[in-house]
Amino acid sequence: MLSDKTKSALAGAAAGIVNGFFGAGGGMVLVPLLIGWIKMDQRKAFASSVFIILPLCAVSAVVYLLRTEFDFLRALPYLMGGLVGGFIGGKIFGKIPTALLHRLFGILLIIGGVRSILC
Amino acid sequence: MDWIIALLAGAVTGVLSAWGIGGGSLLILFMTGVQGMEQPLSQGINLLYFLPTSLTALVSHLKNRLIDKKLALYAIAAGTVTTAGAALLATGLDTQVVRKIFGGFVIVIGVMELFRKCEKTCRTPSEGTKDTPPE
Repeated sequence: MLSDKTKSALAGAAAGIVNGFFGAGGGMVLVPLLIGWIKMDQRKAFASSVFIILPLCAVSAVVYLLRTEFDFLRALPYLMGGLVGGFIGGKIFGKIPTALLHRLFGILLIIGGVRSILC
Repeated sequence: MDWIIALLAGAVTGVLSAWGIGGGSLLILFMTGVQGMEQPLSQGINLLYFLPTSLTALVSHLKNRLIDKKLALYAIAAGTVTTAGAALLATGLDTQVVRKIFGGFVIVIGVMELFRKCEKTCRTPSEGTKDTPPE
């Protein structure tokens, strides 16, 4: 039987692989593992996953900045939009049901994924 | 015009991220599929984009003592090693190969989102912190 510390390290390692390779999705791997495997309380799992993913993103971002032709000018509008959107999202949270959004999100991911493979 | 569209796309996915719906993968798909951006650049942008956004969320989580720091440190220690390795690998591979693997990954996530049981797993951190007064 693995200890929670070992499980946490393995979950972090898995999230790291996804985060570094895809530049996204670490939390989608980490949160279910923290809840289902380590039996962490759901709110703690969400919060802890942000705490864990942040340094992983910083490490990956450095690698991407150093090893790819990074264009800050093209990145800027997305970064600015993200900050505004994150702020608005936090303000109006809970006023809009997210269940339907999850389904819509799933459909968009499938369409985009198929396009990424075929095009 | 492209600038405004990019700003709006960033804002919409930012809202989704704040609600605990993985906006990042959608943003990458938008950048590559609609805007014709290269896969590594879009992934790099998404990583950078997460840093300030998550910092603001972390402040509230830390205040509410929602983070299991002790366990998290083990995950961070292992995760920083694997993420550096994976990022090195991804930035060394052919971009089209990475894009196709990414496509497969988001299809899996998409199917999971489509069939997830929302009453248990659609809650987000901000929802949780709103429910719980600071300790």
